[in-house]
Amino acid sequence: MQASPVRLRRDDTDVDVVVIGGGVNGVGVARDASQRGLRVALFERNDLAFGASGNSSGMIHGGPRYLTNDPHVTETSCRDSGHIQAIAPHLLFRIPFLAPVERSARSRVMFTLMDAFFEAYDRYQPFKRGKRHARLSADELRQLEPGLAGDLMGGFSMDEWGIDGARLCVANAVDAMERGAKVYVGHTVERVERREDTGAVVAVRYRDRHTGAGGRLRTSVVINATGAWSSITAALGGLPPTASRVRPGKGIHIVYDRRLTSYAIMGQTIDGRQIFMCPWENVTVIGTTDDDFYGDLDGVRANSEEVRYLVQGIARVFPAIRNARAIGTYAGVRPTLHAYGPSEDELSRDHQIIDHAVHGAPGLFSMIGGKLASYRLFSEEMADVLAKHFGIGLRCATHVTSLPGGDATVDPFALAERAGIDAVAARRLVYRHGSRALHVEERMKARPREAVAVCPCEPVTEAEVRYTVRHELARTVDDVSRRTRLGLGACGGMRCAARCGQIVASERGLPPREGMRQAINFLERQALTRVVALGPEQARQEALAIASVRSELGLMGDDDLATAPAWRQIAQSEPGEQSAHSRAQGEVVCPDP
Amino acid sequence: MPRSVIVIGSGVAGTAAAWGARGRGSKVVLVSAGAGASAFAGGAVDDVPWEQRTRAAHALGLEAHATAAKLPGALLEFVGALGVWDVPAARGCYLATMAGRVRPARGRDRALLDLEALGRGGRVLLPRVSRPGWDADALARALGDDPFAKALKLQFEAVDAPVLRFDEERRVTDADLAARHDDPARLAWLGESLRSAVAEGTGVAAVLLGPWLGLGLGRADKLAALVGLPVGEALIGAGSPAGLRFEVARDALFKAGGIEVISRRVRAVGVAGGDASGGTARFAVSLEEKDASLRADAVVLATGGVSGGGVIYTPAEHGAGADLPSGGRVPFALSLTAPVRLGDGRGALEATSSLFGPALDTVAWPTGSRQSLLEAVGVQCTGIRAAHGLFAAGDAIAARPRTVLEAAATGWHAGVEAASTG
Ligand SMILES: Cc1cc2nc3c(=O)[nH]c(=O)nc-3n(C[C@H](O)[C@H](O)[C@H](O)COP(=O)(O)OP(=O)(O)OC[C@H]3O[C@@H](n4cnc5c(N)ncnc54)[C@H](O)[C@@H]3O)c2cc1C
Ligand SMILES: Cc1cc2nc3c(=O)[nH]c(=O)nc-3n(C[C@H](O)[C@H](O)[C@H](O)COP(=O)(O)OP(=O)(O)OC[C@H]3O[C@@H](n4cnc5c(N)ncnc54)[C@H](O)[C@@H]3O)c2cc1C
Repeated sequence: MQASPVRLRRDDTDVDVVVIGGGVNGVGVARDASQRGLRVALFERNDLAFGASGNSSGMIHGGPRYLTNDPHVTETSCRDSGHIQAIAPHLLFRIPFLAPVERSARSRVMFTLMDAFFEAYDRYQPFKRGKRHARLSADELRQLEPGLAGDLMGGFSMDEWGIDGARLCVANAVDAMERGAKVYVGHTVERVERREDTGAVVAVRYRDRHTGAGGRLRTSVVINATGAWSSITAALGGLPPTASRVRPGKGIHIVYDRRLTSYAIMGQTIDGRQIFMCPWENVTVIGTTDDDFYGDLDGVRANSEEVRYLVQGIARVFPAIRNARAIGTYAGVRPTLHAYGPSEDELSRDHQIIDHAVHGAPGLFSMIGGKLASYRLFSEEMADVLAKHFGIGLRCATHVTSLPGGDATVDPFALAERAGIDAVAARRLVYRHGSRALHVEERMKARPREAVAVCPCEPVTEAEVRYTVRHELARTVDDVSRRTRLGLGACGGMRCAARCGQIVASERGLPPREGMRQAINFLERQALTRVVALGPEQARQEALAIASVRSELGLMGDDDLATAPAWRQIAQSEPGEQSAHSRAQGEVVCPDP
Repeated sequence: MPRSVIVIGSGVAGTAAAWGARGRGSKVVLVSAGAGASAFAGGAVDDVPWEQRTRAAHALGLEAHATAAKLPGALLEFVGALGVWDVPAARGCYLATMAGRVRPARGRDRALLDLEALGRGGRVLLPRVSRPGWDADALARALGDDPFAKALKLQFEAVDAPVLRFDEERRVTDADLAARHDDPARLAWLGESLRSAVAEGTGVAAVLLGPWLGLGLGRADKLAALVGLPVGEALIGAGSPAGLRFEVARDALFKAGGIEVISRRVRAVGVAGGDASGGTARFAVSLEEKDASLRADAVVLATGGVSGGGVIYTPAEHGAGADLPSGGRVPFALSLTAPVRLGDGRGALEATSSLFGPALDTVAWPTGSRQSLLEAVGVQCTGIRAAHGLFAAGDAIAARPRTVLEAAATGWHAGVEAASTG
């Protein structure tokens, strides 16, 4: 284990490795590299899990789609799914799937093929504590899910695991920080500096997007883990964008106000794509689409067409979806490997490390592609490359070291009693934080006032909001929401955004008006993600929310709201750019510190 | 023979219409399906949305209230008769909101604290109460930071003063807690508690509480008398007891005015055919679960907008089941059938050329001074006239400001016209 750290701790560098991107792959490799003793700095342009990682279907699956071509990949995927479960047991929840088969000319053949397929998958299920599949008759299917429609010949049950992608990212980032990594959220890398003669990486230049302050950090290795932003990031290092090319595949999800079914249900769209409807935490989610996306990656939103395409598909198996109450949508862009093709060889992997030495840029690496489910393995492969590069012999240990909160189980009922909060709130708290829920509990015990719920839909206490600001790098109402699901319930944050803004402002020592501004931004952004999925019931709620926000907070007067991308927040803090309210008072809402 | 008028809807607009028509000697029947926007709103009384007013005042370089329009006497008379609001004839007031803003308003539910009336300077105390949504310290900080508060030279401070008597009151709804203060003994207890808190400080101008001061009228004034200082509520955007207080005042007004009230949903308003009894009634109003229809010379639709339940969003896709929707149609409908057209301020609504419904991507949330489509949709009118003998009022009218005074003014006007036009 004791290898000579030849190239480690060079005097001419501030850190050994700079990771760009706070998605699951970025934080994953930051964790692994810090665990192996490297000095790591990570820069995230927006927030942890802002990209694909926080907007995925949230499934830790075992890679069944590789079964036919390369069962070995399925095996590794299932093993890795098991590892993730072992290091973060609190974050995973079982999602039993039903796959109904419609009666048709080919349905008998179809049924047999699918049965064989699931049979093969069953071989690997034990690695991830998955249950074997079951053949079900049409009657049995309807007994399990009475809402199923269509002329069914039968179907199957199949077992997968769900996860909260944002929590997974936060847990990895916190672990990396506890091992000495520096994580900068809201900081964008603007340039990767390289030597003119050798092309080797020497430093990154970054900028704090809120204050506008820039900086430079010396390093000899840079990892581009920016997912769909990957080609843009490569260009920052002076490489052609094609050096790190991904196919940007936009995917959306629609969120419903409650768990509509007990099982996830597979369905098909009009063009034959597989989609699903899935009970997920407190809500139901349907997804997902896959369309090439060449727009602004910082402002990805679902539109009405995508919503209808999905609902139409799900309605074929579950017609009641049309009358269910949609309370929001979310969208992300997949970094799909660009070089994939019909050949089996290429289909057998979905991630790749590019060593840009081949492009004349030694020290620059890109991690492209990947899945939430394989992030740990991908990070391990990347960290192995680093270990070799730096000549350290330490092996990966991320699969045997618990993530923060994953080391012990906490009984939510006992916690509820001790902290004086209700059992549902405690259960949700323990889900999100595992054993670290005890830290939040300490806050509540020390200051009973903080046990009061801020958000009534998703029970989030003041103590938890403060905890996410203090220990999980949350800086805004949006960030708190990403970490706790605050404000994502049926009332759309109408009840809690302003309060959350006050807490964030007080915790960060900002003027209260800054908290208010964050709240309004959050409400507007959430409203724009909801309206595209509006149904009759939610329409009235939406009208009430508009009236209520108008009455209590006042609406911003910006005319560009309709197209408001996330960068508005930045634009507003720039000198000269002022919001309607600040204009009214002739002063800037959020002065640069 | 006095004309008969049917008013549909018992929000602010319907109430004003019934009062106006009754005042002109008509026989008035009011039919209502229940609570609308007026019962959900927080007690601020505006003529135009306040941020619009603030913006206009700023553009003209004036103080927010300088642009407050003088209100017509009839409107003030209605406000007086109802008795639940205070709407000064020529100036406005300032309200503290639960979100931590100080905002101008044209008037207020009397239980809301008017910061304007405190004069300039002074301390406003906020008791610490352990309830969701009420963090006295944070709220005091936010309010104190508001530019209007600075202009008024007001300071906000959290203080320790018991407001809750029982542990379970930490969790009951605002309306529940408010109802407890209808009990005089409980109110006296609260008065005593606040009085000792006030006595400890100097320069105290008022006490600000959450929306907890009674469902009946006059609780806040009573409390103020007990404490010896103005005491009032902060404004909460939705779900305030102010809506319930409006309903109490409204019911009293109906009773005093001899206005008959039928609690039922109206199914349709139609033009009456030949009347067997030889009457001249122009309209037939049919109710749900009732065969016989009501007859009247004129009808006022005060059925509210999308937020009040008078207009319903009905995209074709809704209820389409497993298959494609049956066809494009106008994506909004009135909650009853009537010979009127819906519009959004830019013209009549038409069937979209989508099988599903309109693309709401950009129009369902307000931008700048543009109303959201959800706010704008309503009955197309010329003024308050939707068709001959058929009037609309309040949020039911397309593209008018969605405010209490707009509802009261159009309601009163529609009632008077319905009572007098042949
Ligand atoms: C709709 C959808 C559904 C999915 N479902 C699943 C699923 O069920 N299971 C599964 O395993 N996988 C799923 N995935 C795939 C998975 O989410 C992604 O593969 C994975 O999250 C990629 O992580 P990443 O870290 O590479 O990229 P991202 O999470 O996108 O992170 C990239 C980050 O880089 C930051 N960044 C960009 N430029 C800069 C810069 N210059 N400086 C600093 N930071 C920068 C961005 O802000 C962003 O946060 C899904 C993906 C999508 C879109
Ligand atoms: C949350 C919220 C906050 C607000 N804040 C403010 C504010 O700060 N300042 C301000 O000035 N304004 C505010 N408003 C707006 C204001 O409350 C409304 O503009 C006003 O109350 C509208 O009154 P209305 O009588 O036109 O409609 P509503 O009060 O909606 O009344 C409609 C009535 O019609 C009845 N009805 C509907 N359909 C039928 C049918 N088919 N048969 C029988 N009856 C039917 C309903 O039951 C209801 O009684 C707010 C509104 C809301 C919802």
